[in-house]
Amino acid sequence: MPSQEPEIKNQIRRLRFEHGEMTQDQLAKQAGVTRHTIMALEAGKYFPSLLLAFRIARVFSAPIEQVFEYRATELNL
Amino acid sequence: MSDSEKWAWWTLGVVALTIAAYGAFFAFLGHGPATSSVFALLALTALPAFSRRQFQGPSFDEREREIAGKAQMAGFGAFWLAFVGVIVAIGFVRGWSGTLTLPVWSLSEIICWAWILVMSVQSVTTIVLYRGGAHA
Repeated sequence: MPSQEPEIKNQIRRLRFEHGEMTQDQLAKQAGVTRHTIMALEAGKYFPSLLLAFRIARVFSAPIEQVFEYRATELNL
Repeated sequence: MSDSEKWAWWTLGVVALTIAAYGAFFAFLGHGPATSSVFALLALTALPAFSRRQFQGPSFDEREREIAGKAQMAGFGAFWLAFVGVIVAIGFVRGWSGTLTLPVWSLSEIICWAWILVMSVQSVTTIVLYRGGAHA
């Protein structure tokens, strides 16, 4: 049975790699959060606020939907 | 390990130390104001507030704030449950019109135990949420 929980996937790890193997610490500093929060985001343990999502997208100079992807569940929202 | 987790482990350590000291004093001195003096050890929980990071400006990001808020709610939620439980239990045991006479040191001891409960639940919740809650 599929999960009813909405899922937000992100491409932060890949984008860091593509941006000169940027470290989690560097990204954290540029996004204004701690490295632990970046780790939690990459592990899918934390869904960021809209503000933080935009900040991270701006660090990668990418549109937000390229960094975060919303996967609709059976709730179909 | 984040600063909040370090604070939580430190707090649990101080609580364990205080309870152990209380047990030792209780064994030798019995129940009284001398034994209650061990609660002064709880002041050690304030030490992390003097950490270097505390003076470097805003120390919490949004995830840490969220976890701190949830942990605080859990701590005070536990306090309210205990408070209501104790009041109801006393009411049933002593009768709702009964009276209680307590020495002042006993009252301060009750407050210290309540504080221990709040901080312990807050610390455990902090550790659990940092370890992996889906949205923590």
